[in-house]
Amino acid sequence: MDSKLTKFDRNMSAVSFAEAGEFETAAEFLAETPAAAKKAEPAAMRKPYAGMVIFGALSLSGYVALIANQKLVNEIFTMGGWHAVYPVVTALIFSFVHGAFASNLLSVLGIEAKK
Amino acid sequence: MKRVLFIILGFFLILPMVSPAFAGGPPPKDVMKGIFLSVDDSARTAILKKSGSEETVELVLGSGMSPGDVRINKKVMVSLDKSAGENVIKSIDIMFMDMTVNKIIALLVIGLIGGLLSGFIGSGGAFVLTPAMMSLGVPGAVAVASNMCHKFPKAMVGAYKRYKYGQADIKLGLVMASTAIIGVQIGIKIQKYILNHFGNAGSNLYVSFVFMVVLVLVGGYVLYDAYKLAKGGEEGNKVSRLALRLQNINLPPMMYFKVAKVRISAWITIPVGLFTGMLAATIAVGGFIGVPGMIYIVGASAVVASATELIIAFIMGAWGSVQWGLSGLIDIRLTLLILAGSLIGVQLGALGTTYVKDYMIKLVMASTMLIVAVSRGAKIPGYLADLNLLAPLEPQVTHVLGQVSFWALVTALASAGLIITVAMMRGMAQAKLETRREEIVSHG
Repeated sequence: MDSKLTKFDRNMSAVSFAEAGEFETAAEFLAETPAAAKKAEPAAMRKPYAGMVIFGALSLSGYVALIANQKLVNEIFTMGGWHAVYPVVTALIFSFVHGAFASNLLSVLGIEAKK
Repeated sequence: MKRVLFIILGFFLILPMVSPAFAGGPPPKDVMKGIFLSVDDSARTAILKKSGSEETVELVLGSGMSPGDVRINKKVMVSLDKSAGENVIKSIDIMFMDMTVNKIIALLVIGLIGGLLSGFIGSGGAFVLTPAMMSLGVPGAVAVASNMCHKFPKAMVGAYKRYKYGQADIKLGLVMASTAIIGVQIGIKIQKYILNHFGNAGSNLYVSFVFMVVLVLVGGYVLYDAYKLAKGGEEGNKVSRLALRLQNINLPPMMYFKVAKVRISAWITIPVGLFTGMLAATIAVGGFIGVPGMIYIVGASAVVASATELIIAFIMGAWGSVQWGLSGLIDIRLTLLILAGSLIGVQLGALGTTYVKDYMIKLVMASTMLIVAVSRGAKIPGYLADLNLLAPLEPQVTHVLGQVSFWALVTALASAGLIITVAMMRGMAQAKLETRREEIVSHG
């Protein structure tokens, strides 16, 4: 039913553009196959729930592990010298995991950049 | 894209050859970290076991200290008073504050708003995060270090997002960052000269004075420009007259920046970077100079300038983090808790720029700069009094000025966050309306 309606809409739009003298636009409306339109729609609408949950769980467990072992972590991370690698690399890894979670979260909430 | 990667790689290879450069000044030298093993009340000495080694040292308590200030068996940061003699303690700070739920929530919220601002105007957050952490009981050096370590991954995520939106100019960012790093060196030299000749109070006064003047002048001009654009109802992509004139100077080597759509002589771009770095070393917020510099002197749009600033922040922040990490001052708990909020904020701010007009970015930047200037200005009377240029202040006045300074920062952050949120929501509603209108039109 849905596809029929779209097809009907499409034809009517083509007619109105053709009447207005915009033949090229009218042709464009008729050329577009409903199958292609249908395919494009779910890709745009699909929300990354799985990504959000996976990255969210990873990130959260990372934070829990950090707070639970904060004494040990702080001892090792602040020794100075080559140990500088620890905080810098940890910050980078967290930003990848948590950044991916944040990105997915915003998409799930429907906040997207203007196209 | 391959060429850009090579440039980035080459840049990082050259970086270590440049002597240490830091945004926001180098890590302090007269600092010792470790655990106090014992304290001798009568001799006024304490034994410190240095962290990372088995070595112990005997330290003498400074004149203002009492044996009760020495906390046994807790990791501390000891500032030494080198002018009073070798191994004399000036102050002792507990390195790692105890985390409470309230502090965690505070860090998450500040991180979120700081990130929002950073994603939107390219810089921000640092000027409020460091004082906020200090007011939560974190020693100054640890606050600066932890903030630095959170800044570069945040800037990286923000820069990546805005690069995807086609707003960030990688070449301009690399040129600005590399010249800014050299500028930082010059800035530190000036700072050291002032510190040696006029002492700590003189240095503080100099920093606050430069901060005030630069922020009021630049912020005022940006605000005037934003007002003009908003009133004129233009799209806001008009290039400043100064930038147009500078772009016409045909002094080789000429540089072309594709995203910024600017062709300008290297002789103009390089001084802008140098000056940004110099001021970054002085006032610790390079973005407040870098972004207006890229807009009004190089001639990029506010969107491109603020996006490019994130690339600069990433490079300078990464370099600074390594330096502070080498001195072992980064509290990773603080870094990651701020990141938790700011990574969401920075992406929200970045996509917010796709909905607003150019003048909105200028408006947010200007209002933040001006309110932050108030915060610094409130500190100047105190420094003047320290230099005996003003009668000593009443303790009450000092307290009030301190409160004004801190709350001005909070206001700056809150108002900027509010403006961005409202502008973004309006932009989104309008975009939705437009798509619906288009649908109606297409359905005839």
